[in-house]
Amino acid sequence: MFLPVTVAKLVRGVFCNRHRHLTLPSSSVCLTRSGVPSVRKRFVSTTPSQRHGEYEWQDPKNEADVVKVAFVDRDGKRTVVRGKVGDNVLYLAHRYGVEMEGACEASLACTTCHCYVAEDYLSKLPESEEKEDDLLDLAPFLKENSRLGCQIVLTKCLDGIELVLPAATRNFYVDGHKPKPH
Amino acid sequence: MKNIRQFQIHSIRWRSTATAHSPHVSAGSPADLEATNDLITAKHYSQVPGPMPWPIIGNTWRMLPVIGPYQISDLANVSYILYKQYGKIAKLGNLVGRPDLLFVYDADEIEKVYRQEGDTPFRPSMPCLVKYKSQVRGQFFGRLPGVVGVHGEPWREFRTKVQKPVLQPQTVKKYIQPIEEVSDYFIKRMEEMKNVNSEMPADFDNEIHKWALECIGRVALDARLGCLSPDLPKNSEPQKIIDAAKYALRNVALLELKYPFWRYLPSTLWKKYVSNMDYFIEICMKYIDDAMLRLKNKSQSVNESELSLVERILANEPDPKTAYVLALDMILVGIDTISMAVCSMLYQIATRPEEQEKIYQEILTILPNKDDKLDASKLEKMVYLKAFIKEVLRMYSTVIGNGRTLQKDMVICGYRIPKGIQLVFPTIVTGNMEEYVTGCKQFKPERWLKQSSDYIHPFASLPYGHGPRMCLGRRFADLEMQVFLAKLIRSHKLEYLHKPLKYKVTFMYAPDGELKFKMTERPTL
Repeated sequence: MFLPVTVAKLVRGVFCNRHRHLTLPSSSVCLTRSGVPSVRKRFVSTTPSQRHGEYEWQDPKNEADVVKVAFVDRDGKRTVVRGKVGDNVLYLAHRYGVEMEGACEASLACTTCHCYVAEDYLSKLPESEEKEDDLLDLAPFLKENSRLGCQIVLTKCLDGIELVLPAATRNFYVDGHKPKPH
Repeated sequence: MKNIRQFQIHSIRWRSTATAHSPHVSAGSPADLEATNDLITAKHYSQVPGPMPWPIIGNTWRMLPVIGPYQISDLANVSYILYKQYGKIAKLGNLVGRPDLLFVYDADEIEKVYRQEGDTPFRPSMPCLVKYKSQVRGQFFGRLPGVVGVHGEPWREFRTKVQKPVLQPQTVKKYIQPIEEVSDYFIKRMEEMKNVNSEMPADFDNEIHKWALECIGRVALDARLGCLSPDLPKNSEPQKIIDAAKYALRNVALLELKYPFWRYLPSTLWKKYVSNMDYFIEICMKYIDDAMLRLKNKSQSVNESELSLVERILANEPDPKTAYVLALDMILVGIDTISMAVCSMLYQIATRPEEQEKIYQEILTILPNKDDKLDASKLEKMVYLKAFIKEVLRMYSTVIGNGRTLQKDMVICGYRIPKGIQLVFPTIVTGNMEEYVTGCKQFKPERWLKQSSDYIHPFASLPYGHGPRMCLGRRFADLEMQVFLAKLIRSHKLEYLHKPLKYKVTFMYAPDGELKFKMTERPTL
């Protein structure tokens, strides 16, 4: 009878562990989230808005900018794409038809771009901010390497990163709904 | 060992979320079949328990025309009564001229609804605002009338234009200092308001209302409106704004509930509502046009990260109407909500000296000198204060529930619920259920800290909702509360030495009565 509470405590335990395990030496962090690379700088009325993934639709201008990303979708299918420095993983996934939803459009209001980051790359990401953590607590199938795709901006040291989508999403789209770029 | 634990956890989580089925079945995967079966085997909607017609709540249904932050009357009580009487799902049916209300008290089922709501969730709200936007001033609002009271594609298109600057932490951070300035000034004003017993005046809630108005003006209009100045002349602009703000949300309740005749013929109250809304539009246009001018005069090569919220929207949207409408929406729903929440916070702080001391000690280490200024990293460190705010919102949720209109048939708690039904998620009840929050009767901010092992169901207490339609003003609401409380508790000790107040839903859930807090300046260290 008390099972739900006990199990739930364990779940919470994992949430807590996640944060403990993620304490990383700051030297391994390539870039802080606020320090988006200079290519992302936008100017008033001089360049059009690039807020909704337009940037990710541009091909890398040179090889030095290329960051390869492997997405593993819910059926286990692996898609390797050529992203570039400054790309947001969510919009990059949209460009290549990977089913990462992103219902709130990277405004940090939902968890539909939840993914798992392969261990060796996890340490290369900037640590998640409190607001991302709060949302991850609401994500189904949370693991210690869970992150929100919309909060990952590619840097050169992420070259080769593998992102696995939680199998759980299957159950949210049983009607055959395919997430579409917003 | 840990792996085993994890395995268990995930299989259990699977069970709680894997039942998220949808009725529209196309392909023949096992999950689809299971979903169809669920819909077929589910009990019929008519079997959902609930008062028929209304032996328990009498005519209180008259008081339920809106869901969300606009509810009034005894909905909090109705909500408890329905739960006690009927269990985790209860139907309030046969409502004249409106769809049934379905109260859901099962956090797993609430999670299920939030998880499959898609990208244009439907949230019912304020009919009179809808009428104002779509009919009275239809021409002004046009195709994209904002976010409040708007649904479907127009809602999504508008929200897409504005949600990043309004929700993303990097823009919000820029308002720490402006909100701090407004709050510092307000705290100074509070000093002046003290009576001989060092207490706040009986109508102190009005003063908090003005503070919230000044904050929202600073954010949505890029301007100091001057509403906090003492002794404002009656026909001055700030005073007129203060008067009009009372009609933003507070008096909407009157209009919606007590005198709903405006739907048929224009009553005096309705005319007043319309003229107040017109005044707000005028004010919004005036200040946004000023901001537009300032932006034009700025150098062409300004980095977007240096722009204010309003400027960011103006820079990306050639038509200033987006900024006008956003400002209007923010003013309409961002004053009463935040000010009532702050009233509730202050009352809890004043009546809980132990927790107040903990907040004070935490802030003291972060702001060792009285005049120290806040910044993002300092706010980040105020974990206990933030946990305190979450705990108040859990136990005394200012907004007593959230709502969604089902867009397609769905199985909830074993019943097949047809589309069009309005679901109510009463966070004030689910946040206080022992099975979702361990030791729920106890006020314990520590439960929200990362190192805590206390269980909280992630969907039990969601004061701002969740998903694509999550409260758009959430980050600013959090910021305003954190900044004001941090500064006030750093400099003053709060007490409440009168008869305890009862919480009541007037239009928000907040302490009902005179907030005569005693304010004592902390000694300078």
